[in-house]
Amino acid sequence: MTAMVDLPPVRSRTGLQRQGFIRRLFSEYGQEIIVLSAILVLFVVVTLINPRFISANNLTTIFSGNAYIAVAAIGMAMIIVTGHIDVSVGALIGVLATISGTLAVAGYPIWFAWLAPVVVGMAINAVIGILVAYARIPSIVVTLGALSILRGGLISVTGGTWITDLPPDFLIAQKRLLGFPVPLLVMVALTVLAALWMRYTAFGRSLYAIGGNAEAALATGIPIARRTVAVFAIHGAFAGLATILFATQLQVIQSTVPPNLELTVITAAVIGGVSILGGTGTVIGSTLATILFATIGSALIFVNVSAYWLRAVIGLLILATVLADMLRRRGRG
Amino acid sequence: MRNVVFSALLALSFSTSLSHAQSAWTGADDLPTNPLACDATPATPAAADYDGGQPTNAPDRKGKTIKVVDVPKLVGIGYFNATSKGIADAAAEMGTMDAKTDGPSKANIDDQITLIDNYITSGVDGILFAANDPVAIAPVLKKALAAGINVVGYDANSTPDARQWFVNQAEFNGIAKAMVDSMAAEIGEDGAFAIVTSTFTTPNQARWIAEMQAYQAKCHPDMKWLETVEAQEDNILSFNQSNTLINKYGDELKGIFGMTSVATPAAADAVTQAGKCGSIAVVGLATPNAMKPYVASDCVKSVVLWNPVDLGYAAAYVLRAAADGTLTPGATSVSAGKLGDLSVINGSEILLGAPTIFTKDNINDFDF
Repeated sequence: MTAMVDLPPVRSRTGLQRQGFIRRLFSEYGQEIIVLSAILVLFVVVTLINPRFISANNLTTIFSGNAYIAVAAIGMAMIIVTGHIDVSVGALIGVLATISGTLAVAGYPIWFAWLAPVVVGMAINAVIGILVAYARIPSIVVTLGALSILRGGLISVTGGTWITDLPPDFLIAQKRLLGFPVPLLVMVALTVLAALWMRYTAFGRSLYAIGGNAEAALATGIPIARRTVAVFAIHGAFAGLATILFATQLQVIQSTVPPNLELTVITAAVIGGVSILGGTGTVIGSTLATILFATIGSALIFVNVSAYWLRAVIGLLILATVLADMLRRRGRG
Repeated sequence: MRNVVFSALLALSFSTSLSHAQSAWTGADDLPTNPLACDATPATPAAADYDGGQPTNAPDRKGKTIKVVDVPKLVGIGYFNATSKGIADAAAEMGTMDAKTDGPSKANIDDQITLIDNYITSGVDGILFAANDPVAIAPVLKKALAAGINVVGYDANSTPDARQWFVNQAEFNGIAKAMVDSMAAEIGEDGAFAIVTSTFTTPNQARWIAEMQAYQAKCHPDMKWLETVEAQEDNILSFNQSNTLINKYGDELKGIFGMTSVATPAAADAVTQAGKCGSIAVVGLATPNAMKPYVASDCVKSVVLWNPVDLGYAAAYVLRAAADGTLTPGATSVSAGKLGDLSVINGSEILLGAPTIFTKDNINDFDF
């Protein structure tokens, strides 16, 4: 078998390489299928132990309660596919949540309070993208700087106070549409749209080309620098959308962000099959991986296992996924 | 290569099912506990020798107006605004204390040390502090003692010999009693409850849980302890974990304890959004501001914390007594104005008293 698994999903094939549908599906979406299977196995096992696991309420908790991580991981997957990394997204979400909540409490229209984090997120990340693309600073360095600036700025500006008295209409993550929780619908819609966009548009395909081999991409006429800025801005927009779900889930907005949120988001992308070296992976994988974490977390409580297992298991999954990726690359080279 | 991932996942489902029989971790530490009496009898303070420091050649300040500076961890946040207010209240009441608050704008130990050093140079009679770091602040406080300045800490201690006294806002067993008593009052003596904490290894939370376990076993033996879950300092995770507890236990779950000011409002939100207000009680440690929406909607009835206004007030009275020479090593209590007599514990600490339980009636009086 030729090791084609980590080439971009759409590619022309010669007759010699034509494969069966199942095999092709597995070779293009191997990691996604593994993650999905793991979710299904967990659901079956835990439900056998405690049938309440698949109660409607618990499904809502699993799928909806972590949707903001999945949405942030969509942007992160694009960044990593392009061969970059962003370790500042957690702090960014904290800042954007404070901006959004402050506007909502100050009496601005609700739509404005929702739009602001998306626009500001795009602007901040466009600056990061410009520093990466034109000043040629490695993205890990730029975003580490951004992490400190955003986190420090957040604490200095808010002084640690929390935002309360949010208008009820603002709290969209608590609402339902057609019987489904809004965060779930947002997560599914954005994942599908982003997956189609990355697979079928020239822009989306170019991200794989840049992440896979930047020099070759440049040679084929892809404007790498402009695309890098654009993908960071798009990532900022997804961070803004994630913020809306994050900030409207509870009645108070804290001036702190969940510790290690950026790592959770990066981990979701990586376990979902996005190669940390760039060039491969899909946002379907990152969303499935987020659901897998949520399922494991809930399952551990349902079967009375210490949450320490969650960390151990996720650590193991990262190592296994990255190892498998490395071995595939070595096999190809 | 996929085998690696497969085996990891297999190991996961294996370990998950294997550990099924294993009982849930309570999140308590292994240190000895000292549960309080079930009624309101205060604890008998354990005898301990005075281990504080003393000012060198302090002038006779008895009855004279003294100049005091209060250096909290940081200024500009509700909590320390409240302690400053308590100090100002006490100073106004005494009429013989000229108190001002001056602290760093962020909780930074270096800024705090510089600030205290400047006040030693400029000359004050007394220093009140809440340390950003118990060890790093010690040398500058010792310098103040050596200059004859009275030094009293509150909220966050220094090493004992760097100050004369420390006003301790709450002992672990006092918080534990207030928490468990509030829960028992809300869900009854045979109710079942679960706990949402930060991590099992966070020292304060582990200590509180251990004391809660001991007190519950002693005074509310029929209550049922379901399990403790971790939620880091993460509000959405706290919300999800609370929801999972509600989903798992259904009607059996009558109460949730929140062990941090992040977990408690998130647990209250989970109960609110699940439509379980009134059937699942939330009792927890939290700041009043974070809990106001849930208390106002009647979903939460008891929020446990100490009262920072009283804490500052007590600290000012302790400093006055130390300056007057009425509070000396070996004393067992000190008179603190409207708070009455406060007892000396652990050698050189003064216990503020039972924690405050914030309810609908008083929560709006507090802004922190």
